[in-house]
Amino acid sequence: MSSSFLIVVVAAITFASRISFLVRRHTRPPNSRFLEVFPVALFVSLAANELLAPAGDLAVTPNLAAAAGAVLGAVLFRRAILGVVATGVALYWLARLLS
Amino acid sequence: MKADTGASFRRGLRDTVALLPPLWVFGLVYGALAVQVGLSPWLAILSSLLIVSGSAQLAMVGLLPFGAGPVIVATTGLALRHIPMSMTLSSLIGRQPWWRRFHLAWVLVDESYGLTINAAERQVPDLAAYKTAADLTLYSNWLVTTALGALFGTSLDPVRLGLEAVIPLVFAGLAAALLKGPRRWAAAALAVLTTFGAVLWLPPAWQVTSSALVAAVVASALPGKP
Repeated sequence: MSSSFLIVVVAAITFASRISFLVRRHTRPPNSRFLEVFPVALFVSLAANELLAPAGDLAVTPNLAAAAGAVLGAVLFRRAILGVVATGVALYWLARLLS
Repeated sequence: MKADTGASFRRGLRDTVALLPPLWVFGLVYGALAVQVGLSPWLAILSSLLIVSGSAQLAMVGLLPFGAGPVIVATTGLALRHIPMSMTLSSLIGRQPWWRRFHLAWVLVDESYGLTINAAERQVPDLAAYKTAADLTLYSNWLVTTALGALFGTSLDPVRLGLEAVIPLVFAGLAAALLKGPRRWAAAALAVLTTFGAVLWLPPAWQVTSSALVAAVVASALPGKP
């Protein structure tokens, strides 16, 4: 399979999943409790997965300090996105400098 | 353009600007990696134009040397998380014409999804206009930075430059902004636990989708008020 065709296949898979519930004009949420918590679960999973296991396996890296910084930033800056990112980056660099 | 629509669109533009620096890093790194594994610069740009998913694109270039099969399995695993995202968005934006649903789905990326969920919490009146503004900003910047990375960034090393933690920190920030009520806190704690389990027992491509779905299902089944 050529690279250009593979790109089209991956794009089709991705778009099919994205349009799945947007195909219909309007969807009533079948389980509002699930939809209420899914975004938080998704973003925590994305962050935790990349910070705890950047290469797919658990590893002790400065990313762990970034994760601690994210928690600290959420507390210090009342869960503001930029506060979380800035504190996480600061602790990441501190861990790199100290290691 | 109605007043609500214009105000929502402008708010979407304003809110998205804060997420651009990490996205620039991500786009540059992706463009550079794509060329480093053998894609031509125009194919790297085409992939950002058509796929519009940083995680899927990075998985694709990482697995490209192993053939089409592993790429398709991995990107399918990553894409499955878009199904509940599509469900949530569909219930939030209300009735919309097909062309609008089509372009909202085209750029249904984690960042614009998170911004739109946060906007819904803040009672932004026209969420479709808000997300359109976020999508336009993110998509255009994604394409430009991919092109710059593919053309000029072949020696870029994200780990050496300390850029590896930036994107996950944006996801942590988007999660933090949504942490209201015991059920969501439970979902966040469960997601950390299920991520540990997924990392130990599942292949990388299935870890995020599985851990998020299990955490959300368990948290939604917990008794009590939201």
